[in-house]
Amino acid sequence: MNRFSIFINRRGASPVALIAFIVIVCLLIAFPVYVGSPYARHIMILLFLSIIMGESWNIVGGYAGQYSVGHAAYFGAGAYGTMIVINASQFDADKLSELQELAKDSRLSSLLLSAHDLPPWSGIIVGMIAALILSLIIGSICFRLRGPYFVLASIAVAEIVRLTVLNLPDLTQGAEGILISTLPPFTIGSTVITTFNSKIPFYYTGLMLVLITILVTWLVQNSKAGYFFQAIREDQDAAHSLGISLTFYKNSALALSAVLTSLAGSFYAIYIKFIDPTTVLSLDLSVQIVLISIIGGIGTIFGPVVGAVVLVPLAEVLRSNLIGESLISSGMVNADSAFGNFLTENLSHAHVLIYGILVVVVILFMPDGVLGFFKALLAKKRKEAA
Amino acid sequence: MAILEIKHVSKFFGGLAAVSDVSFQLEQGMIMGLIGPNGAGKTTLFNCITGYYPPSRGEIMFNGRTINGLHPDVVCKRGMVRTWQKVRPLAKMSVVDNVMVGALCRTNSLKKAREMAMEQVKVVRLEHRADFPAGGLPIGERKKLEVARVLATQPRLLLLDEVMGGLNPSESEEIIQLILDIRKLGITQMVIEHDMKAIMRISDRVVVLCSGEKLAEGAPQEIVNNPEVITAYLGSE
Repeated sequence: MNRFSIFINRRGASPVALIAFIVIVCLLIAFPVYVGSPYARHIMILLFLSIIMGESWNIVGGYAGQYSVGHAAYFGAGAYGTMIVINASQFDADKLSELQELAKDSRLSSLLLSAHDLPPWSGIIVGMIAALILSLIIGSICFRLRGPYFVLASIAVAEIVRLTVLNLPDLTQGAEGILISTLPPFTIGSTVITTFNSKIPFYYTGLMLVLITILVTWLVQNSKAGYFFQAIREDQDAAHSLGISLTFYKNSALALSAVLTSLAGSFYAIYIKFIDPTTVLSLDLSVQIVLISIIGGIGTIFGPVVGAVVLVPLAEVLRSNLIGESLISSGMVNADSAFGNFLTENLSHAHVLIYGILVVVVILFMPDGVLGFFKALLAKKRKEAA
Repeated sequence: MAILEIKHVSKFFGGLAAVSDVSFQLEQGMIMGLIGPNGAGKTTLFNCITGYYPPSRGEIMFNGRTINGLHPDVVCKRGMVRTWQKVRPLAKMSVVDNVMVGALCRTNSLKKAREMAMEQVKVVRLEHRADFPAGGLPIGERKKLEVARVLATQPRLLLLDEVMGGLNPSESEEIIQLILDIRKLGITQMVIEHDMKAIMRISDRVVVLCSGEKLAEGAPQEIVNNPEVITAYLGSE
């Protein structure tokens, strides 16, 4: 029909797509059984993390059209909530008595003391609640603004969160960050589910979270709220005149997105076991979250998945200079030649630059994202065949 | 009974009075024409009535209750809804999805909303376009889509802002028929229009605005023969 046709006919999944989805999920479940390489597993976990972040952002950015570039705040809320509680649960007697001393005149220290009494894994829920409250505060401030002004406000508020965390060392250990050497075992009742002694538990946790976020997105897309989100994205004045409360639906979209993003933050924290404000609360991270959706295709269920599948390996290949090294090792380029020297010495340091250029190229030539581009291509082919 | 009462409404932007001291009433089931030269304050009045901005002075009563300061979404839920002079299709959504957004104002079930939407799509005769993206429609069909979408919110009062603007004569004729059909459903309408022939044909009563003030009000025949209105439109000798 035309380039818009990719957005419609999305009522219900086609049987082929559904079978393909199930097959891929089965393959992913079997993946660690057949691939033992920790590096491959690590890349898959990073991929899952990106998908979770992208899908979460997609709800408020892709469906409701509110381009929040401050999602690091919610990611950080999840990461810090989880780490603070786990860390507090591992305090020894010395630290506890020291804290009791401090708690007399510091509220934050007494807060840490009460965190000590919580079950370690409840930190994830603490993070979710923190993200929810944060999103309602940020929403009530930023949704007074529209378009580019909203984007700027979302960046500013996320920076305020970062600076706050940086300047509350009693609770967050400030710029030093929080490091946990051993994770507590995850138990349900008295049954130990996992002790996290390999990458496999992280792999399946990630996969599970990916499936949850995809399910949530699917549910949103097929609900009244999903229609209202999209109406707000397309034209908020028209939406407003049709009986849609802008404040309520924008804030709902942001809150849902924030809670899911905090899960991504918790997952990151327990996987890396170290967080500090520059890694989990930075503007860089906010931009990265937005890119996953935009590159893949916003406002679609599988856009962020495609975006993550494109971006994560791309970043990894460029960072490890895989192309340059394979050119040299295959003998196509002499390592001592000027070009070989350029590849090993210069290009490997320019991976961020190349990454940036590629992202710009994708955005310029595929305005509907990679997924949108290929869907349009497919539709064109079909039209020609018919 | 008056469904809408405008009492001494004024709207100022800085020192400029876009609407000043306008009063009139709409009776249940009638079609009210709102005319006036460009910049007369017609659309500003619409914006005040539907809650896009509160009037600076005066009171607006809908169904006997004051609606000053209510947001457009609340006004819509109470049964008053407007279309836009510059059409606002939800471009990436299909025609039926656009209309569903309106219907979802009254129901929580997507299935029910789709049925209600298809009904309205048929009323405006766009059923052959139901799955077509709204952004790809020609202007005539976009105007019809606007009407279908507001009808789906099950209004008691419809405010139509230049639904015939930019249409060719045969398309205008279709819209006129549509407005007359809507009246048969018992829905009260207020219509802003520049096409004098059309407005005189469909209106039961006409209000003329000029420079923000109400210049005249009456049956169409009285308005065409009113010397003040003629002066406002054509200038004096």
